[in-house]
Amino acid sequence: MNALTRAPCPTCRTLTVAIRSENPTAPFCSTRCKLVDLGRWLDESYGVPAPLAEDEDELESLPVSNARRGDT
Amino acid sequence: MSEQYDETSIGVLEGMDRIRKKPGMYIGNVSDGSALHHLIWEVVDNSVDEHLAGHCKTITVKLHADGSCSVRDDGRGIPVGIHPDKGISAATLVMTELHAGGKFNNNSYATSAGTHGVGVTAVNAVSEYLSLDVWREGGHFHQDFVRGEFSKDIVRVGDSAEMGTRVRFKPDAEIFAIVLDFSSELVEKRLRQMAFLNSGLRIVYHDERGAKEPQEFFYEDGAIAYVNYLNEGKNTLHAPAFFRGDHETMIDDRMQKIRVECALQWTDSYHEVCAAHTNNTHQTNGGTHVTGLRSALTRTINKYAQSNNLLKETKGTALSGDDVREGLTVVLSLHHPHPSYKDQPKTELVVQDAKGAVEAVIAEGLARFFEENPKLAKIIVDRGVLAAQARAAAARARELVTRKGALDISSLPGKLADCQERDPAKCELYIVEGDSAGGSAKQGRDRKTQAILPLRGKILNVERVRRERVLQNQEVGTLIMALGAGIAETFDPEKIRYHKICVMTDADVDGSHIRTLLLTFFARQMPEIIERGYLYIAQPPLFGIKRGKKIVYVKDEQALAQRLIDAGIEGVRLVCGEQVIDGEPLRKLALDQHRAQSLLGHHGSRVDVRILGALIRSGVSLSRDVFDSEEKLQALADTLSAQVALENPELMPLKQLIEDDPGVGRKRLIVRARNGSGVRSVIDEDLMISSEVRELDAIYQRARALGPLPWKLVDEKLRETPVAQIERLYWVIDERGRKGADIQRYKGLGEMSADQLWETTMNPENRVLLKVRVQDAVSMDKTLTLLMGDEVEPRRNFIEKNALNVRNLDI
Repeated sequence: MNALTRAPCPTCRTLTVAIRSENPTAPFCSTRCKLVDLGRWLDESYGVPAPLAEDEDELESLPVSNARRGDT
Repeated sequence: MSEQYDETSIGVLEGMDRIRKKPGMYIGNVSDGSALHHLIWEVVDNSVDEHLAGHCKTITVKLHADGSCSVRDDGRGIPVGIHPDKGISAATLVMTELHAGGKFNNNSYATSAGTHGVGVTAVNAVSEYLSLDVWREGGHFHQDFVRGEFSKDIVRVGDSAEMGTRVRFKPDAEIFAIVLDFSSELVEKRLRQMAFLNSGLRIVYHDERGAKEPQEFFYEDGAIAYVNYLNEGKNTLHAPAFFRGDHETMIDDRMQKIRVECALQWTDSYHEVCAAHTNNTHQTNGGTHVTGLRSALTRTINKYAQSNNLLKETKGTALSGDDVREGLTVVLSLHHPHPSYKDQPKTELVVQDAKGAVEAVIAEGLARFFEENPKLAKIIVDRGVLAAQARAAAARARELVTRKGALDISSLPGKLADCQERDPAKCELYIVEGDSAGGSAKQGRDRKTQAILPLRGKILNVERVRRERVLQNQEVGTLIMALGAGIAETFDPEKIRYHKICVMTDADVDGSHIRTLLLTFFARQMPEIIERGYLYIAQPPLFGIKRGKKIVYVKDEQALAQRLIDAGIEGVRLVCGEQVIDGEPLRKLALDQHRAQSLLGHHGSRVDVRILGALIRSGVSLSRDVFDSEEKLQALADTLSAQVALENPELMPLKQLIEDDPGVGRKRLIVRARNGSGVRSVIDEDLMISSEVRELDAIYQRARALGPLPWKLVDEKLRETPVAQIERLYWVIDERGRKGADIQRYKGLGEMSADQLWETTMNPENRVLLKVRVQDAVSMDKTLTLLMGDEVEPRRNFIEKNALNVRNLDI
């Protein structure tokens, strides 16, 4: 649970209490960092890797596994 | 007495009377305590001026039990000789005549805080009694006053080697009718401040009215100590920086020095604290010196940031004054020979040359400080950059929600197909990946309660080598507006228009990435949505199993395997030696084997799957003690070799090497296929105690216990299928399950018809929605951080691993 209670603020990386009942701006350290984050969403600064045309097929053809690691 | 009762004294009496009749004009408000304390400040200021002139080291302030206050300094002592024009002692003159004193002549005091003569006279006038003691010229002199009047001249009461002045006065209850008690706290604060502003001056403070101990305030580097004091309990980013400089300028037709002292320190708070002083008096409303300070800060920080290329995030836009001063604590102290203020209490400095003086000293000092502390400079600039970004974001957020009619449903962007229902508790919003799926969803939905918002993101090429998908600015805006609850400081979860918000993305890597983006956005900007349980993940099927006219949809590989096993075991039994198994136990056995395949398929890069498989299937005891000795490990190696020869002869011959396991004190086995040319497999204690291997071992042990191989599967018509190896069982059953079935895999939502989408994913009767929990959101955030990470290697590993795991992101 410790890992859940304190985590780096997504904006400034300061270790921050990540529980909203204790920190209303969680997961951010502050309203300001939360605002900066909003600005980045609106700026299209947050991207996830998009498959290239050729490796889209490659990714698709990988075996899809149903193993649930660590469940045991 | 009668000799001195001449026109001079009458003038004095008139002055005293004027002050007593209109005290507010001279000492401020007598009813709220401000004038009362002002009396102390006036007297103390005189002593501080002695310090500034270089003659006083210690000032002792006492609050006495009778309600009086005394201030003693070790300065030169007020001159006691007879004033040539007035014919009375200069000390008496200072105490009784307005505008007497040495401070209008800048030669006696270069800079001073005192009120130039009004002060101590006014204190005398409003005091029930005032006693003056002066030590100088080898003697001790004394004089008493009652409400500003004296009946005896100053007299020498004895010899003394001491130096200095002591003034003890008791405020007159006739004048201070409402507040007559000094506030110890206020006096302490002021005296401490005086000590901060006058490095090297010792101030002793004793409130004798209670049982308090005397306090002493003494600071070598007062401005720095003051900053430290103001920042107590805050997280500071660096040790205070200190700048001092004399600025020469023309004042009153001659070159004079304005001395500037400044200590400053940034903290991680968002407040700016600025304590600005001129000649020891605090300007609560700032003034020209503060203007100079601010201008120097903004200019110097921007200059440094620009020349060091630190403004990438703001795209080169300069930081504003507010941005750079966020979290800054400054103590500014100015010594000016001829200051002027906007008002009598000196709350705002207006003298114009103060601006240039402060600006020059601070700009130079700060520039040097940055050059010497580049890391710190970067931290300070970065803070300013964040502040600027936050300001810009706040403005955009405001614009977004206050745009004319933004919250009016009819003005919602065209892409949203809203529902008819208006009760949020009954409304659902489907956020659908892609325009074509969005189209199907619009056709297939229940218009009454289901709204559709198609979202496809946008692909950006980052540095040519990387392609990234981002949520378009417009899409984020549309999403915020569609939810109707505002954003940032205006966000109100009570106003959310849908109490079910379902994220529906393709069952592929790209879909999972878009889902990660969306969930992270919600978790960060609207965590209330998740806390209230409004956020869901729709589960479109990955497979359709068609038998005749009937289609069964299943959500993932696991579910497909289960369905096929269910069909495959129908009407068959497994004969293994003495035992015969069917129904549920057979189903479990087949599921076990399916699980074993995926466990094996999942094993990492440290071991060849075929080697590990052979090891498990060989039936050798997989206990930890095989690594204790070379003999036991050799036996295991031999068994393994035999099993590999049986299963995969093309891997033979194996090259096996037993060596010390570094750090464990045991042995390990290194295996390479095809005489060393194949993948290197490490068989060690770590591998053996991993949960995967233990589970695999357990599965095989359970299966072996059923009876000796070969087994056989017998169907209703008594046809037999031999099962030579345990794992063959799953393949045989799976093959049976697939008979007569047409299995379709849906690559994307777009491949489903509107009806199919409705039937499988949107119809409340059939659909399975996964509620997003707070902890899921946390892991999504971590996922996003990893996906966006700059380090290529962990990022690629992560993506590859998750490509395998698309359907099973832990959610």
